[in-house]
Amino acid sequence: MPEIILKNVTKRFDKFVAVDNLNLTIPSNSFITLLGPSGCGKTTTLRMIAGLETPTEGEIIIDGVTVFSSEKGINIPPNKRDVGFLFQNYALWPHMTVYQNIAFGLENLKWDKKRIRARVDELLAMLKIEEFEHRYPSELSGGQQQRVAIARTLAPNPKVLFMDEPLSNLDAKLRTEMRTELKRLHVDTDSTFVYVTHDQLEAMTLSTKVCLMEKGLLQQYAAPLDMYLRPANLFVADFMGSPTMNFLPAKTKKTGETSCELSFCGLTRTFTAGKPLASLPENVVLGIRPEFISIVSDSSIPASVYSTLPAGMETTVKLKLGGEIITSVVFGGIDFPVDSTVYLAFKGSDMLLYDAQSKKLIADGEIK
Amino acid sequence: MKKFIALLLCALLALTAASAFAESIADICAAGEALTHDELVEKALAEEGTFIVYGNTSRIVTAAENFGALYGIAFEGSNLKDAEIYTKLSAEIEGKAKGADMVMIQDGASLQSMALDTGYLVNFVPASVKANIAEGDQNPLIHQFINKVFIWNNKGENVPAITNVWQLTEPQFKGNILFKTPDAEQVNMNFLVMLTNEEWSGKLAEAYKNLYGKEIELGEFENAGYKWIAEFLANCSFGNSDTTLAEELSQETAAGKAGLFVLSKLRSSSVYTENLTVGQYVAAEVGTIIEPFSGFMYPMYALVSSNASRPYTAMLFIEYLMTADGFKPWGKSIGAYSTNTEIAPLDNDLPLSDWKASLVMEDPEYILDNYEDVYSFVTMYLQ
Amino acid sequence: MQNPFSAKQRAKLRAFFSKPANVILVVFCVLLCMLTLYPLIVLFLETITVHAGKEARAVKLTAGDFTLYSLERIFATAKNQYSKLTFYEPLFNTLAVAVTASLISIVFGGSVAWLITRTNLKFKKFISTVFVFPYIMPAWTLATWWQTFFKNVNAGAGTSNGIMAAVFGVNMPEWFVYGFFPISMVLGLHYAPFAYILIGGILRNMDANLEEAATILKTSRVRILWRITLPIVRPALLSTFLLVFASSMSAYSVPVFLGSPVRYYVLSTKMMSLINNYPGQGYIIAGVMIIFGVAILALNQYVTGSRKSYTTVTGKAAQISLINLRKANLPIAIGLTVLLVLVAVVPLLTFALESVIIKAGDYSLSNMTLDFWIGRNLTYLDQGDSTGILLSAKVIKALGFSLLLALTCSFFAGTCGVLVGYGVVKRRGSKLATIVNNLSFFPYLMPSLAFGAIYLALSTRVPFLHGFTVLALVGSVKYLPFASRSGINAMLQLSGEIEEAAVIVGVPWPKRMLRILFPIQKSSFLSGYLLPMVSCMRELSLFVLLVPTSNTLLTTMLMQYSEKGWAQFGNAINLLIIIVVLLVNGIVNKLTGASIDKGVGG
Repeated sequence: MPEIILKNVTKRFDKFVAVDNLNLTIPSNSFITLLGPSGCGKTTTLRMIAGLETPTEGEIIIDGVTVFSSEKGINIPPNKRDVGFLFQNYALWPHMTVYQNIAFGLENLKWDKKRIRARVDELLAMLKIEEFEHRYPSELSGGQQQRVAIARTLAPNPKVLFMDEPLSNLDAKLRTEMRTELKRLHVDTDSTFVYVTHDQLEAMTLSTKVCLMEKGLLQQYAAPLDMYLRPANLFVADFMGSPTMNFLPAKTKKTGETSCELSFCGLTRTFTAGKPLASLPENVVLGIRPEFISIVSDSSIPASVYSTLPAGMETTVKLKLGGEIITSVVFGGIDFPVDSTVYLAFKGSDMLLYDAQSKKLIADGEIK
Repeated sequence: MKKFIALLLCALLALTAASAFAESIADICAAGEALTHDELVEKALAEEGTFIVYGNTSRIVTAAENFGALYGIAFEGSNLKDAEIYTKLSAEIEGKAKGADMVMIQDGASLQSMALDTGYLVNFVPASVKANIAEGDQNPLIHQFINKVFIWNNKGENVPAITNVWQLTEPQFKGNILFKTPDAEQVNMNFLVMLTNEEWSGKLAEAYKNLYGKEIELGEFENAGYKWIAEFLANCSFGNSDTTLAEELSQETAAGKAGLFVLSKLRSSSVYTENLTVGQYVAAEVGTIIEPFSGFMYPMYALVSSNASRPYTAMLFIEYLMTADGFKPWGKSIGAYSTNTEIAPLDNDLPLSDWKASLVMEDPEYILDNYEDVYSFVTMYLQ
Repeated sequence: MQNPFSAKQRAKLRAFFSKPANVILVVFCVLLCMLTLYPLIVLFLETITVHAGKEARAVKLTAGDFTLYSLERIFATAKNQYSKLTFYEPLFNTLAVAVTASLISIVFGGSVAWLITRTNLKFKKFISTVFVFPYIMPAWTLATWWQTFFKNVNAGAGTSNGIMAAVFGVNMPEWFVYGFFPISMVLGLHYAPFAYILIGGILRNMDANLEEAATILKTSRVRILWRITLPIVRPALLSTFLLVFASSMSAYSVPVFLGSPVRYYVLSTKMMSLINNYPGQGYIIAGVMIIFGVAILALNQYVTGSRKSYTTVTGKAAQISLINLRKANLPIAIGLTVLLVLVAVVPLLTFALESVIIKAGDYSLSNMTLDFWIGRNLTYLDQGDSTGILLSAKVIKALGFSLLLALTCSFFAGTCGVLVGYGVVKRRGSKLATIVNNLSFFPYLMPSLAFGAIYLALSTRVPFLHGFTVLALVGSVKYLPFASRSGINAMLQLSGEIEEAAVIVGVPWPKRMLRILFPIQKSSFLSGYLLPMVSCMRELSLFVLLVPTSNTLLTTMLMQYSEKGWAQFGNAINLLIIIVVLLVNGIVNKLTGASIDKGVGG
């Protein structure tokens, strides 16, 4: 339901700037991921919205209510912000049973006993942990603890749910399972989710919009696929996607309104942009996603196989092209012999040009 | 340690306030000296609250018990060290807290400088016994005298026969003299200070000549008193308690040793008195004295506190203490001498006058004027 | 009236004080300044003020005047070698004793810690239980035991023989019975459990992989110990060294018992003998001891601060293969057991024995009586009390008062410890937290005697500071360091999320403390209550100047009895104190799992 707005939010710890002048609007009902490498300020941002951390400057508005403003001296405590928070280490209270853990917050809201009982039962059923009601957290497995933590967080029906890397302590299989559950939960609970992770795959699969940060600065805020296909800068391009994008140093020579001549890896090709090329620096970086480099039976671009990594469903092939190692992903399991020669093709119109100096996206287009 | 502190802190304001306060009790006490026993009893019984007594003799508690039982007065008797009493007095009086009504205490020099000069304690001489107390013992009122005398172990071969204090400085007594360390009890230090005055240093020089048949050579020492102190302390083994010293000296294993401690400690059940010889007794028997002294003697004073809440009870208690009944807790064993001339010494003890003649007595003014010098001198021999 | 703060500043202040941690820190910062720094100022003033009595006579000034007399006497008086004998020599003795005691406790405590955590030593349970006894028991226990056990006619003022001489016929030399050696030994043994707890804690938490990694690289055991284990526990060693040093430096009862018979003075005993006649000089010595304390605090801060990364080496409690002591196992185990029995059990038996004999040195049955415990009408003894201690109204009253005081101090110190722990850990790294952290540790370094002396001076300035109030206050402040250490340790072990999870659901702060934080770390927090209680029960030097009468507390009563030479009553009371302390410790430990071990922290 509610919309969250961050205006010029900055957080400094002594001289270290954790979050630098962040502006962000989180629409109602969205599932937003704060993504970035560790130390980028994503957790701090989340904790500031939740009220667990006080921003140094800026303004935060949740559902039209200003919950923090350094200017006006407003700082509403977390419990008045009507938010839920799911912690990385679950933070279950070890001296309380599962039931007590879930009910504690509700008792605090002065709910009557019957209502609490009903709500806890509902949550126990929803998260399929009915049989653990009387156990203590230490008697539960990681996945079960996670479910209890979620139940506890959901119990008071928060308008907004914050999650701080909630799946990072689970094994790979459980994690996939819980992702499904979370996405389902988002729909079922009809609330706004803000999710912190350093795992780009998690961000891609879960969220409606991703906010990628680095060193306290917002890098890009976009829908996952937009971010994947049109990363705003080299950092984003590198961070999103696995295996990572190929970055090839290239020289340009403008040949028309939307086209230029591109030399890279000993090749010279024509690049046709989707939009007119305003200014074009000479040194650029050509970014190509591995899945857009296909291996064909014959073409004008021969490359030698450096190493093949078949994963069953797809195969990652490392290739040597004009002194550079590039990556290609092909569908199906094919084991190319090492040092054999294959032929490449650049397909689609999602080739990207970045300014080598500013590292910003200049254009997208196709290579012929 | 303590009393001083309070003193200075409140130097200006408190002094005026305290003396104003003290004056009222002082007035009461002055007026009280004219009251008869019955009048005192009447006024004392009219007072309320617990009657509090501090004393640095353990037997004050017994005396207070007897007194309380006699008149049906609720009391609290505390046996404290003399220094503690001065500290508490100043803390209580400066802090305006309820404290002692009456105090029984030794160490005349400290009494003068810390309790009389400051007005913390007030003198009172009961009319009923005034006639029986020597003038010199009345201001401040001395309840009794206590003596610390030379005593030695009489077991084994080499039983000492001490007739001159210079014998105690001889090599055979090296480590064999038991003495409570002077910085643990002021009266011991007072005794040493007194030895440096003209009278005693002169007598010591004479005694030296009598023992060795030649004039004393002072060397670096100022007078014979200092020289004796130095050589005596060098032979001492220091203890922390006269009771323990008495016990230890009375052991068979202590043959050949001597001590200088409170005579009344011989009353303790854990002392083998049969193993001990008291120097002055021996001297008295054969009609001689130990040259020039056989120990020292110090007064125990009884005074009213200037913030007493039961001043008449305090006065009545002092009167009681001065009677034979009140003196009983001390009078039943040797080593305590009432200033009331009507109370006779025990048969197995000597009269006060005999002791006074053969012991070093305190002179508070001399002690105060020379304390620092002798204290630092003594410190040298305590290391 | 114009408000001096702008709206923005007001909002900032409001935000600041809306956090309980900040409120706690500010309150404690102010409170601790008043309770520790202000007294220091008073102490300083005392050193340059004329005191009534002999001091005023000596300087020929009135009490309250300014004077440099005391300073000159203490530091620069050559006549009669006064300064040398009153200050410099005792200072040297103090340092020598403190250094030696620290080394003894580290070597002894550290080796036992290593044996317990890293080898297959036998009787581990017994050894680790009994090893902390000397620390729980009052420090003078060992000292008086040493004296009663080893004294003989050839040493000091000795005229009677102790057990060693009477029973075994061995006369130990004087240096063994009195002075530097026994003082250092006794203090070293007393504080060895301290080293054991600190070093053992690190060894236990240290990731065994660190040592295993070396084993796999074919390093010898000795080399591992020398090159891996020791360097990792080095900060703990240094920390222990400094803390034992500080404690030994201010020890009073041990040097009184074992030093004064041979005129071996340390600063604390010198201060006590000076403070009656020359308070100014006594306070200067107290000041010097405090300066050493502060220096040690700074040094400790530096040592632990700069190497924090070492001490926080923790890991899974992985299985480490214990070193097989082989043939040495039994001899070491038996040797240790015998030693522990000697220092922890035999003293109790000695006290029991000494409390039933009538005349010292005679251990025959005919010389024994239970009168000192349960007798009535004991006038024949003429030793201060006429009833045995178990029937004596004044002993029972003192016991009650001691317990009440211990409980009160423990309640205040413990609770403040929890709060300080909370505030400091929540705002970790902030200046305020660092200040409060240091202030709360500061009383530890104040010699008890000096601390008591300062509060005595204060009591004449502050009207309500008398009797029980001042005792409870001084006890609570003095033992706050123990409580704040365990509070901080307990909070550090709790992830912040545990509390935040409750913040989010709107649990108010008091409820968070009582329902969440305290229950989870119950045993650690309770340890913060236990140590002040135990210390208070056996405390002497802190209270000796402040008690209304010597009969007020069991310990001061004991001291009085021992000064009066009433040995049997004294021994009986001593035993009573030890038994009460061990009982309290045992019961609390059984009921709550709190233990002294958890309370002591660097």
